[in-house]
Amino acid sequence: MSNLLLLLAVVLLSTSQVLQKVGAARRLAGKQKPSEWIAALFSPELLTAIVCIVAGTALWLAVLYRMDVSRAFPFLSLTTVLVMAASRFLLGEPVSWHRWAGVLLIAGGIALVAST
Amino acid sequence: MTRAPWIGAAALSASIVLSALGQLGMKAGMQNLKLARAGGEIAWSALSTPPLRDAVFFTTAGLVAYGLSLLAWLAVLVRYRLSYAYPLLALSYVLVYAGATQWPALAEVPTPQRTIGTLLILAGVALASLTGGRASR
Repeated sequence: MSNLLLLLAVVLLSTSQVLQKVGAARRLAGKQKPSEWIAALFSPELLTAIVCIVAGTALWLAVLYRMDVSRAFPFLSLTTVLVMAASRFLLGEPVSWHRWAGVLLIAGGIALVAST
Repeated sequence: MTRAPWIGAAALSASIVLSALGQLGMKAGMQNLKLARAGGEIAWSALSTPPLRDAVFFTTAGLVAYGLSLLAWLAVLVRYRLSYAYPLLALSYVLVYAGATQWPALAEVPTPQRTIGTLLILAGVALASLTGGRASR
């Protein structure tokens, strides 16, 4: 059950990252004033990003309630794999081979920590 | 963004440190909540005594740190590609692991396997983000 909640939290948090990046590029670039930032936080992209991160964090709190943080936390780096794939295929960012290799190392580290 | 490169670096550092503090705070909060509930039904009067009072304090502090790390993160995303910046956030894993095992309030037991796994994650972060340029958007 905890693992399922953890997985759902990972998906929500990854989605939020992509929306945050899109929102930052579209709504925040070049903005300096706090009032402009506050207005940008209510744009559809950033508002949805906030909803995703709040829902993901609520699930995350439920997981932390029953699991060691040093064990649960590295699971979150599964989001690194999802976010890297989304950066490449949804946002069209160039991703070099060492970036992918780094992501694989991170995934290996997760597997090691999670199997204890 | 050639204007002030240190802002990007400062925002990145703030995101990493605040995110680790947020995780540790939330975990300490949940731990105290568990302690408070172990004593049976929770009464409002219990808010002024340690387990529940600390649960509220640490959870709130953790959420505030987490919220601030999100704002700093948006400042990062304005300046850098997501595929460059995101792996760097994993540096906070190391801080969380160190904090969870060294902070007496959590006192989690380090194991060789978790330590190696955490180091592997660190190596992956280094490979992913410290090579191949800074990649501003």
